[in-house]
Amino acid sequence: MQPSLSPLVASLLTEPVGVTHYLVVGAILFTAGVACMAVKRNALGVLMGIELVLNGANVNFVAFASPYLQAEGGKSLGLDGQAIALFVILLAAAEAAVALAITLNFYNNHATVDVDRADDLKG
Amino acid sequence: MLPVATLDQPALWPLTAIVFLPALVAALLSLPIVSKGREEAIRWITLLTTAVVFVLSLWMAWPTLFGAVGPAQFRVGEAGMQAMVKQPWIPAFNIEYLLGVDGISMPLVVLTTFLSMLAAAASWPITKHVKAYHVLFLLLETGMLGVFVSLDFFLFYVFWEVMLLPMYFLIGIWGGPRREYAAIKFFLYTLLGSVLMLLAILMLYFTGDLRDLSAEQLVAAHVVSPVLDAAAQADAVAAIKTATSPVHTFNLLALAQLGQLPESPFAAVNLWGLSLETWAFLLLLVGFVIKVPVVPVHTWLPDAHVEAPTPISMILAGVLLKLGGYGILRICYPICPGAGLALAWLVCGLGVVSMVYGAFAALAQKDFKRMVAYSSVSHMGYVMLGLGVWSAVAGNEFRWDAWAQGVNGAMFQMLAHGISSAGMFFMVGVLYDRVHHRNLEEFGGIFNRMPVYSGLAVAIFFAGLGLPGLCGFIGEVLVTLSSWNYSRVLAVISAFTVILTAAYILWAIQRVYLGAEYKGPHGDHLTPITGRELAIATPLVFLAILFGVAPQTLFNYVTPTVNRQVETLAEWTRTVKPDAPAAQPPLAADATARR
Amino acid sequence: MDPASQLPMLLGLAWLAPLASFLAILFFGPRMGSHGRNAAWVATAAIVTSLVLSLAAFVTWLGVHPVQAAAHGGHAAAHASDHADAAAAEQDDAGAHADAAVHGGHAEVPAHYAGDWYTLYEGGRLRLSIGWYVDALTVLMFVVVTFIATCIHVYASGYMHDELHDVTDHEVHLAGGGHLHRPGRFPRFFQALSLFCFSMLGIVIAGNLAMVFIFWELVGICSWFLIGFYYERTSASTAANKAFIVNRVGDFGMLIGLMALWGALGTLQFADAQVAGPDGSVVTTPGLFSLVRPAAGGHALQVPDGMVTFAAADEVARIAADHAGNPADAASEVASRISDWRAIGLGHWLLVVAGLGIFCGCVGKSAQFPLFVWLPDAMEGPTPVSALVHSATMVAAGVYLVGRFFPVLTPEVLLVIAYAGAITLFIAATIALVANDIKRVLAYSTVSQLGYMMLALGVGGWVAGLFHLVTHAFFKSLLFLCSGSVIHACHTNDMRKMGGLARVMPYTAGTMLVGCLAIIGAGVPFVIGLSGYYSKDSILAQALCFSQANPRHAILFWAVAGGAFLTAFYMFRLWFMTFAGQPRDHHIADHAHESPNVMVTPLVTLAVLAVVAGWTLPGGFGIANLLEQARPAGTAEGFAAAGITIPAEHLSHGEPFHTIATWTAFGTALAGVLLAAAMYVWRSISPAAVAAVFRPLYAFLAGRWYFDELYDALFVKPVLGIASLASGVDRGIIDRIIDGVAWTARQLAGIDAWIDRTLVDGLVNATANATWNAGLELKKLQTGRLRQYVMFIVVGTVALYVLASMLLSSSLAG
Repeated sequence: MQPSLSPLVASLLTEPVGVTHYLVVGAILFTAGVACMAVKRNALGVLMGIELVLNGANVNFVAFASPYLQAEGGKSLGLDGQAIALFVILLAAAEAAVALAITLNFYNNHATVDVDRADDLKG
Repeated sequence: MLPVATLDQPALWPLTAIVFLPALVAALLSLPIVSKGREEAIRWITLLTTAVVFVLSLWMAWPTLFGAVGPAQFRVGEAGMQAMVKQPWIPAFNIEYLLGVDGISMPLVVLTTFLSMLAAAASWPITKHVKAYHVLFLLLETGMLGVFVSLDFFLFYVFWEVMLLPMYFLIGIWGGPRREYAAIKFFLYTLLGSVLMLLAILMLYFTGDLRDLSAEQLVAAHVVSPVLDAAAQADAVAAIKTATSPVHTFNLLALAQLGQLPESPFAAVNLWGLSLETWAFLLLLVGFVIKVPVVPVHTWLPDAHVEAPTPISMILAGVLLKLGGYGILRICYPICPGAGLALAWLVCGLGVVSMVYGAFAALAQKDFKRMVAYSSVSHMGYVMLGLGVWSAVAGNEFRWDAWAQGVNGAMFQMLAHGISSAGMFFMVGVLYDRVHHRNLEEFGGIFNRMPVYSGLAVAIFFAGLGLPGLCGFIGEVLVTLSSWNYSRVLAVISAFTVILTAAYILWAIQRVYLGAEYKGPHGDHLTPITGRELAIATPLVFLAILFGVAPQTLFNYVTPTVNRQVETLAEWTRTVKPDAPAAQPPLAADATARR
Repeated sequence: MDPASQLPMLLGLAWLAPLASFLAILFFGPRMGSHGRNAAWVATAAIVTSLVLSLAAFVTWLGVHPVQAAAHGGHAAAHASDHADAAAAEQDDAGAHADAAVHGGHAEVPAHYAGDWYTLYEGGRLRLSIGWYVDALTVLMFVVVTFIATCIHVYASGYMHDELHDVTDHEVHLAGGGHLHRPGRFPRFFQALSLFCFSMLGIVIAGNLAMVFIFWELVGICSWFLIGFYYERTSASTAANKAFIVNRVGDFGMLIGLMALWGALGTLQFADAQVAGPDGSVVTTPGLFSLVRPAAGGHALQVPDGMVTFAAADEVARIAADHAGNPADAASEVASRISDWRAIGLGHWLLVVAGLGIFCGCVGKSAQFPLFVWLPDAMEGPTPVSALVHSATMVAAGVYLVGRFFPVLTPEVLLVIAYAGAITLFIAATIALVANDIKRVLAYSTVSQLGYMMLALGVGGWVAGLFHLVTHAFFKSLLFLCSGSVIHACHTNDMRKMGGLARVMPYTAGTMLVGCLAIIGAGVPFVIGLSGYYSKDSILAQALCFSQANPRHAILFWAVAGGAFLTAFYMFRLWFMTFAGQPRDHHIADHAHESPNVMVTPLVTLAVLAVVAGWTLPGGFGIANLLEQARPAGTAEGFAAAGITIPAEHLSHGEPFHTIATWTAFGTALAGVLLAAAMYVWRSISPAAVAAVFRPLYAFLAGRWYFDELYDALFVKPVLGIASLASGVDRGIIDRIIDGVAWTARQLAGIDAWIDRTLVDGLVNATANATWNAGLELKKLQTGRLRQYVMFIVVGTVALYVLASMLLSSSLAG
């Protein structure tokens, strides 16, 4: 590794897999999702970004819920985390269904799925 | 629910019924179950109610007519308060439901019920909003009667206000073309008066302290009910006497007792250079003289009269104006005798100015009703003059008979004017109902068209003129004769008024009733007087004659009370103000003789 | 027979009978026969009842107080009253007086009976009542009034027959052309006449001034009804109003007089009254007469105690202050000072004011200068009314009252009365010289004769004045009835259209001649004469006597003498123009006819009385001697004050006054008649030429001295001006102020509303606007673009994170 890597990255690479690693993965997923939402003009792309954001969060929940990952004596959320993750998945599915329906409708009306053209709800 | 003392107050229900029966019927009439369309029924119910109230008041006032004298009935010839009713109302402020009648208020109560009955009968031509009209009319009656019988200042004020609002609407809705202007003018004038009165009431309330009165005075003023047994009375007196803070009161009798104390609490307080007594007297006086009315606060009267419908004019002239005189006699003088003595010139002067000014103004009127209205101003001036002639001073050896004569004359004049002015307004109304104008220049020849009506009308107008044998004479002559002892100048001016009175009344009679032919429009509507109109006019003419030839029918009631009040105040003058200045300076001839 | 109870009863019933008739006709008049024909009978029956009762009272009176012969020298009064006292002393009744004579034989209270029937008001020591005061004068006046009234009722039942059917009034022109056609008013006439008789008798019997005032007003209103009988005529209703209002001017003065008496003395009773005292004893309360002329002072005029203390009110107050707390002491101190105060003249003015005030009322009622203007206009009424009301009785009431009130009048007041009478008699006589309306001539003659009576009373001729009142009542009512007969025949009042009527109307002409002779006082000097001869002579004699005693006022005698000449001239001018010579208008003369018997009979009856009323029968019975019985105490010997001497009346019966007066009267009357004859019978002097020579004077007289115009300018117009000023002040000033206050209030309300709108509401609105604008601005942020939103969220989150961490770190560091 190059010396320019920060100590955090260095420690990640040296430590055994723990909560922090999961959090980093979640954060990467989240950030990727946000970036996707922000930059994609295609509505479907935005939806995908949302999925990424949600799943990033899910990873965090699961990570916090696992007692194995809490080796340092931290408190785990227990099954609650798993449950919340399941809820999120459910919500994401529902959300995706509604959002796709909206997108479809939007396409029918405007013949495009470009979200920059979708400013009907502006103030 | 009522306290036990009720059993010892036989007048509770009769007096309450007289006052509140009209209001009760008004409340029932105003219910939606009474259909607006049943106008004839509403009229009859109102007339019946007023008739019942009249009979009730007559039952109280003239017991011999109904057999033996009951405990609730009026004992003619007694001076003191009778038929007292005393119930706590708002104990926190010592406000009571305190009613009672004496020789001053009893005849006025009967006059009110009588005129209300006639006015109800005269209301038949009213066709607009009949239901509302009669509801307000009955409310008005309650207000007027309440003022005359209440002896609690707060209650008095409440009734006083109760009376104003119905009058405002009665003028403002059922009046003539300028009714709104007239109604608002009436309302503003009288409201100003009541505000000042309220101020005075509060001044007196917060200054008076019942602890200054003796046990006997407390009982005499009904602060402590005399119907209680001796022990209970003593307890009640002790409770007042030993109170640690001042005990205030609205009781008019107790306030009078306080005002006539040698060290009157009202005279002791000084406000902006004048004693509180003087302020209270002036405030009350202004409140009352607006009602009388005297010049220069009289201009609501012509407008209100001209615009008001006939029955309301009758009530207005016959009863409402009397409230002012009654207030001065009942409240101003007994409660503020010191100010009354010092300001007697003001009362007399206002009276004389009104007499002359009203007569002159009447002479100039072209409107028949307006002329009659100004004649009221002039005639009520006699009342003021009679009330004011405080001639019982040292220079007169504290003789009170001339003053008593003046006050008796004023009372008689009030009652007589109640008959004659109501009659005059009714007579004008009869013509107005037919031809719908009141222009004096456009009448003439009515005598030949409506002989019976004209005969009655001329009789009533002669009563207003002060012809002997009719009711107007006695009051005028007593007042005029009595005024000499107070002030020669005022006496001469008041005597001068008889010329003007003759002039404006005879001139009006000439223009309306005499002459060869009717000069105005709708001549073919001049039909003879109807039975209903005759039934209203005849009792008025009858009473005008009765009071003229048998004035003692009224004096039997009035004189004992008036004489006692005047005698009390004369005695007060002797003991408290023996150095009151002589009412008038010696004449030049005497001054010369002395030199 | 107990006169003390019988006389009031008889006279009281005589007084009330016309009232009963009035009420009966008022309620049932139109139903009395066809067109109320029988109302005349009802009224006549009532007045005849009164006459009979009055005569019964008269006889009763004479039975108790027989009239004694009057020896010249005035002892008749003394004798009469001696006798009266003897008679009265037999009665232990309240009314009759038997005061011991204090001051010779002349100072006694005349025989009288007084009492009260009815009380109108009583309070303290003050009392107003309806009562009686009966003396010889009352009884005489009752007989005279009821007698004349009876004659006139009979006459009127014939004269007024036009009113029995529908009437066309030719003096009323309707707007649409043509004359007024109306139903007759026969009963109404008799109704008013009855009420008048009741009121007039009320004045005569009145026991106190308040009652006089009451009936004074009532006769006024009866007069109003009767003058305005033809009320469709504007002239009639205006004349009626004028009469009443002018009378009210007099009543104004009378009220002041009443106040002066009442306020100081507390009584208006003429006579003393016995009332039950508090302890059951009988207390005598003095009446006006004995207050002003107390028996203790020999009935000499003095200012009563009440007036003295009234005038000394400031002294009384000082005494009360000195004796504060002890009223009894103060009272006795005051009582002890009264004589001192009286000595310096305190209260004298009050007595003068009282006298002048009462006289003022009499000036109005008796049509004296300056209030005489109403009487000529009053001739608008039917002629019987003029005869009864406006010549014989009502207008004489003023003279009667002065006579009744005489003891209270001070010499100053009497002098005013004398001058008022003199001025009146002169002015009225001069106007009568040129009047052409027969009734107006008589009206001015009435005014003039009333002036005579007033003058007589003023110069101390108490009997003379009242004697003339009685005789004048007879002959003046006769003259008026005759003129009515002429008018009835000619249908005009204008004497210039008459002439030569003596042939067709012999009875009327003859009786009127008797009347004219009576009024000028015709007679054979020192032998016999008509009634006027006696009364006028005694007035002349008394005036002469007064002029001698007060040389400064000699003009009063010349006024009387000159008046006598003028009277003779204008009365005979009237007679000659009407009855003598040739008819001037043949149309009228041909249609003229003698009146029916019902009218002629009263004429003859009155003519007989006009002849004999002044006679004194052998044995002394006569009106003059009867009047002597009623002469007020203390006035027989005359009195003096303030430089004025009121001479005793009996002096004028002696020489040289009697002779001079008789010859003066005879001479002036003869001269007047001869001048009238020269001008209107022999035509040796042309009236037109005389009028031409004195044209301005003639115009002045024909214009009635322009009194109407003067009063109109001086009083009527200013009063109407003040009236409209007062009304204008109400509308223009007081109402303006009120409306102005209301307007100001409305303006203030407007300002208030503006403040509300701009400031208060403005603030609220500004807040709202700011919010709104902020919203508008912020709205731009909501682009609806998803990607921007995401960026906002991200940036925002990051910013928050940075902010939070900075804050956190700084707080940790801090």
